Amino acid sequence: MTAAAPAAGPTTAVVRTEGLTKHYGAVRALEQLSVEIGTGVTGLVGANGAGKSTLIKLLLGLVAPTAGRAEVLGHDVVTAGREVRAAVGYLPEHDCLPPDVSASDFVVHLAMMSGLPRVSARERAAEVLRHVGLAEERYRPMGTYSTGMKQKAKLAQALVHDPRLVLLDEPTNGLDPAARDEMLGLVERIGRDFGIAVLVTSHLLGELERVSDHVVVLDGGRLLRASRTDDFLDATGALLVEVLGEDAQRRMGEALASHGLVVRPRRQLLAIDAAHGRPDLHDLVRDVACDLGVGLVRVQADHHRIEDVFGTRGAAS
Amino acid sequence: MTASGTPSRGVIHDLGYRPYQGPRLGEGAIARALVVTGLRNAFGLGRSGKSKVLPFVLLAFNLLPAVVVAGILVFVGLEELPIGYARYASTTQVLLGIFVAAQAPVLFSRDLRHGSITLYLARPLRAGTYALARAGSLLLATLVFLLSPVLILYVVALLGELDVVEQTKDAALAVVLALLLALSLTGVAGLIAACSTRRGFAVVGTIAVLLVGNGLVSAVQSVASFEGADGVGEVAGLFTPYSLYRGLLDAWVEGGGVTPPSGVGMEVAYVLVLVGLSAACLAGLVVRYRRVAGR
Repeated sequence: MTAAAPAAGPTTAVVRTEGLTKHYGAVRALEQLSVEIGTGVTGLVGANGAGKSTLIKLLLGLVAPTAGRAEVLGHDVVTAGREVRAAVGYLPEHDCLPPDVSASDFVVHLAMMSGLPRVSARERAAEVLRHVGLAEERYRPMGTYSTGMKQKAKLAQALVHDPRLVLLDEPTNGLDPAARDEMLGLVERIGRDFGIAVLVTSHLLGELERVSDHVVVLDGGRLLRASRTDDFLDATGALLVEVLGEDAQRRMGEALASHGLVVRPRRQLLAIDAAHGRPDLHDLVRDVACDLGVGLVRVQADHHRIEDVFGTRGAAS
Repeated sequence: MTASGTPSRGVIHDLGYRPYQGPRLGEGAIARALVVTGLRNAFGLGRSGKSKVLPFVLLAFNLLPAVVVAGILVFVGLEELPIGYARYASTTQVLLGIFVAAQAPVLFSRDLRHGSITLYLARPLRAGTYALARAGSLLLATLVFLLSPVLILYVVALLGELDVVEQTKDAALAVVLALLLALSLTGVAGLIAACSTRRGFAVVGTIAVLLVGNGLVSAVQSVASFEGADGVGEVAGLFTPYSLYRGLLDAWVEGGGVTPPSGVGMEVAYVLVLVGLSAACLAGLVVRYRRVAGR
């Protein structure tokens, strides 16, 4: 399978893989993945077992590919794993914080583990902890932290050595809505304001729609689609109508169908296939609703969602 | 807070994100930093207050006899030290065993248990180097434990105007023996701790191997000596770090003892087993962490 590079491909690829394959015995974790990931924020989408974590491990040079190759920031992950890991930050999905150490001490220590001298490590740690929003609590043992604070500490250690790329594995996992918004805001800032390329995974597609410039979709170890987020969200050409009143949806549907339109109910909405290209469609909807005496709640253009990719497999390749 | 509310105590000026342009050190410097942090952590420094209690209590108990000896020597005045430098570790071996068994999990199990090993492995340090740096921390902590009483005794001996040449020779021999013992204890305790994510298992396992193993060997050696089968006792001595240490101590420093290694061949075998055991355990650690990295 030759995967399409992102439509409006970035000029400088931060990650480039060619036929990247990883088998664990009989398990085909990743199969012939060829993709380019550029600067900005890239979402990595896939169900559990789709190969996201395997891809991240391969990109960190922690496991060797069965076949194919991968380059991160111009370094081959097999032959120059150390150079890759020096320039990449990683936020793992699972717990990784010792409970009896403060975030401040831990981030300083990990900065030194990335090669920063002690004095610089202290400065960077203080600065990064401020950026992620850990204030006085940074001096408390991390065992006392809420999930949101733990995620911030994990993010701080991923940023402390000023990487050129961060790999964020489910950074919003387990967060309440307010903390999730804050984390997504941070992810966006890292990609746009800090100038650090971000590869972020999430199983909540709506989140990725919001923050990422590009989306890579994996399914069963294979690339399903890689393109700009906007392309995923293009208008489908259909018009969505919501009406209010007794049996309004059925009556409205029938009335519109009698005008020769293709109408399908979608939950509480009616989707009108506008492929016929009627320029007066909006007026028609208004008039029909008026004639029937139903309340017209909304009329809006239908957009694709990222999850639609899973419904129309292979449509993009 | 309302718009008319009093302003908060301080103001944080957001200077925006500033990239780091300073030096980035190589693998050697990173490993050294890890060794130093690990050494501090082994004594509970840089961790919670609670975690400082055990190592420092053990260290205090370990130093107590040396301090008492120092007092006696200063106030009474003796012709020689009442306890030899190298014999000291053999006398306080239970404390040493507990210290190593309890602090090895701090360096090895903790990162595995809490998942922080992932954060180390995602950094430039290779898995093998990480394992050796951790072992280095445990080795240094064990040496601090083993050598601080030797240092106290040596200083007191010099202050008590005992023969400098003789004392220096004995102390130097004790340092060599301590190094051999510390290496093997580090290897054994480190490997057990690295294979267990639970601290309790690691502690019990290490104590079982070190202290119970030594008890069994001592029993065999006593029986062998009583039955006149010294050869059996000498071979039995090859099986635990403590009995190896005791054998070399008897052979090199003090003479006597229960079935010490007789002849140069057996002494060399004792040294080789101590060094080989350490090397094998360190190799095991490296393999273990390479596997963790590939998971």
